[in-house]
Amino acid sequence: MQIPHPPTRRSVLALTAAGAVLSLTACGLGGPAAPQADQSGSGELTVWFPGTNTTEIELVTETIVPQFEQETGAQVEVTFLDWPDMSTKLNAAFAGGTAPDVFGHGPAAVADFVANERVVDLGPFLDQLDAADREDMAAALPGGQVDGTQYLMPLSLQANLLVYDADAFTEAGLDPDEPPATWVEAAEMGAELTERSGDRITRSGLLLPTHPIGLQQSFATLLYADGGRQLSEDGTTATFATPEGEEVLDYITSLFSGEDAVATGLGRDYSTLPPSQQPLVTGDAAMMIATAPQVQQMMAADPDLDLRVAPPMSFDGSTDPAAFGGAGPGLMINADSPDQELGWRFIEYMASPEVAVAYTEGIGAIPMRASAADSGYVQESETLQAFLAAAPAMVPNPNVPGWVQVRDTMAQHLERATNGAVPAAEALRQAATEVDDVLAKAR
Amino acid sequence: MSTSQSTLVAAPAAAPATAPPSPRRRRVRPTRWVGVLFVLPATVYVLVYQLVPVVYGFVLSLTEYSPLSRSGPEWVGAANYTALLHDPDFGQALLVTGRYVLMVLPPTVAIALGLALLAARPFRGVGVFRSALYVPHIVSLTTVAVVWLWIYSPNGLVNEVLTTVGLAPQSWLLEQESALPAVAAMRVWKALGSNMVLLLAGLQSIPGELYEAASTDGAGALQRFRHITLPGLRPILTYVVAMDIIFLAQGFAELFILTGGGPLASTTTVNYLIYTEAFQYNGFGSASAMAFVLFAFIAAFSFLSIRGVAGRRS
Repeated sequence: MQIPHPPTRRSVLALTAAGAVLSLTACGLGGPAAPQADQSGSGELTVWFPGTNTTEIELVTETIVPQFEQETGAQVEVTFLDWPDMSTKLNAAFAGGTAPDVFGHGPAAVADFVANERVVDLGPFLDQLDAADREDMAAALPGGQVDGTQYLMPLSLQANLLVYDADAFTEAGLDPDEPPATWVEAAEMGAELTERSGDRITRSGLLLPTHPIGLQQSFATLLYADGGRQLSEDGTTATFATPEGEEVLDYITSLFSGEDAVATGLGRDYSTLPPSQQPLVTGDAAMMIATAPQVQQMMAADPDLDLRVAPPMSFDGSTDPAAFGGAGPGLMINADSPDQELGWRFIEYMASPEVAVAYTEGIGAIPMRASAADSGYVQESETLQAFLAAAPAMVPNPNVPGWVQVRDTMAQHLERATNGAVPAAEALRQAATEVDDVLAKAR
Repeated sequence: MSTSQSTLVAAPAAAPATAPPSPRRRRVRPTRWVGVLFVLPATVYVLVYQLVPVVYGFVLSLTEYSPLSRSGPEWVGAANYTALLHDPDFGQALLVTGRYVLMVLPPTVAIALGLALLAARPFRGVGVFRSALYVPHIVSLTTVAVVWLWIYSPNGLVNEVLTTVGLAPQSWLLEQESALPAVAAMRVWKALGSNMVLLLAGLQSIPGELYEAASTDGAGALQRFRHITLPGLRPILTYVVAMDIIFLAQGFAELFILTGGGPLASTTTVNYLIYTEAFQYNGFGSASAMAFVLFAFIAAFSFLSIRGVAGRRS
């Protein structure tokens, strides 16, 4: 046997070059733009839905789509994509010319598709509907509009409201029938509900989402409740670096830090936890912000839990109550689809009164039609009734090009403030400067 | 051997100028083309799937390009590169990437070497020992990260152990100070198996006679390790260090799952930033520029590490 020789200069260079090529190819660079795939337009439709909710997948693929195919004679190929992969795969599909005829997404993404002329104006299709039908969807439709034009048909409403454990209220000497009317009052009640072991908080009295996206939504919730807004009316400049913005950001920070903190787990993402591990179910929180599906799933996970929904709140009582919410995810039609008429028929079918209620019932979401309030699905659920009642106070994120980057930029600076790295005013000022740049570039 | 023989046979210099082609020479040509055919698939693969994307990626780095855009890439020259010079997020990501490599590489190599020395000894159950150490390498990084997400969770294994011994539980992945070291600890565990196997192979290639001779000459264990084991392992150590740098500097999946780049961007590596820029913000041009700067850093540090570990001697 021989002792292996040390590498020669040539082998050193070869290894370096090989590694370098390996590193570059692994960096995953995008492919070239290509013309759209040749599609026949012969009654075939490809549809991409966001989400991996098994109930939703079964409902859509085994009930809704087969019924649609039977009624129309069309062939629909449905694909469900994990939310985090949705934008990536859609972008790649658009670049490669393989984008579906109809696809779902959240309202936050619509403006970028519009700016690049990738989606169809749904206005002419909507005009074909009865006025009463359009009125029935009035609460949801604006969330799918960009500059007043309808591009996305929401399939549900979504809202973040304060949810509380009635038993915890009773144990703390609070009246569960008297939820907080303002966010200031909620913090005071949160102090009563907080439990500690030594210096450590064992039960958060008032828990707000603080993972990056959740933090931006928490900030928006409180800013709207304090009479502020995130962007100017025309969507060109940031308007959150104000005394109201500073006030609500300090409020969030104070919930998690200092001797009077009422919450723990700053930065933790509870939205991805299964229902049985949600803080209200495990007893790790007495009040938290949650969506309607989350509340219903938590109650299903622990039927003994007495969860109640507080109505939308003002920040300190000086302004009208407001809640973060509005249109939920919906469907859009690819501008290059050869059969846009069939795409609209599918969307129209999904949004029809019976199917819309069945769909939202399947995923536990808030129906987007006002008439759904009379459905058995809503009538049997106090939670849904509470969320539907809050619809008039819901304020969504702005639909502007570059919103995803705006949201992340805001979250980045809000996170610095809540972690005590910079004062609230400085964080908001820097965020506003960067957001203005992003908005200017995206226009 | 066969290659050199063919070369010698094919050399025409020895043949007279007027002489007809020898039968031996005529037989060489098909052999040469057969060789070309053998390397053709690999060559085409490298060209199509590695070199062409790299070249295209470089072209993209000189453009502004969103995959949603109908107008295609727009030429901006070196603007994406100059913008990186003033981009604090990119500078921060470079630092995080460097810290991550430094946190993982030395312990990984040192512990893997120790384990390889242990696994090289004949003892009962050595096969099981080696297999157990190699298992983490077989499991996908994504799966491992999900498991460690639970291990680090508030009610996870680590905090359970701390609570059992009377210590306060920690938010391992939510604190700036602990997030990157926590991810690095997972990565060390993940990388140990493959490094150990490579180093074990290196150890087994060192002739036992050298150790016997050294022992006869009175060399102690430390001297044998320093003067026989380490020099004998140098080629494989060079490979291990270089490949670890290349892979660690591209850290992404584990960070995506465990920390999402946070808190406060303390675990945002360059590759994570590239992902965000390309797939969240549709900035494929600037993301490509970042990829090439990362490439330059990786190439430079790989070269330096190879020179450092292997020495200048050829």
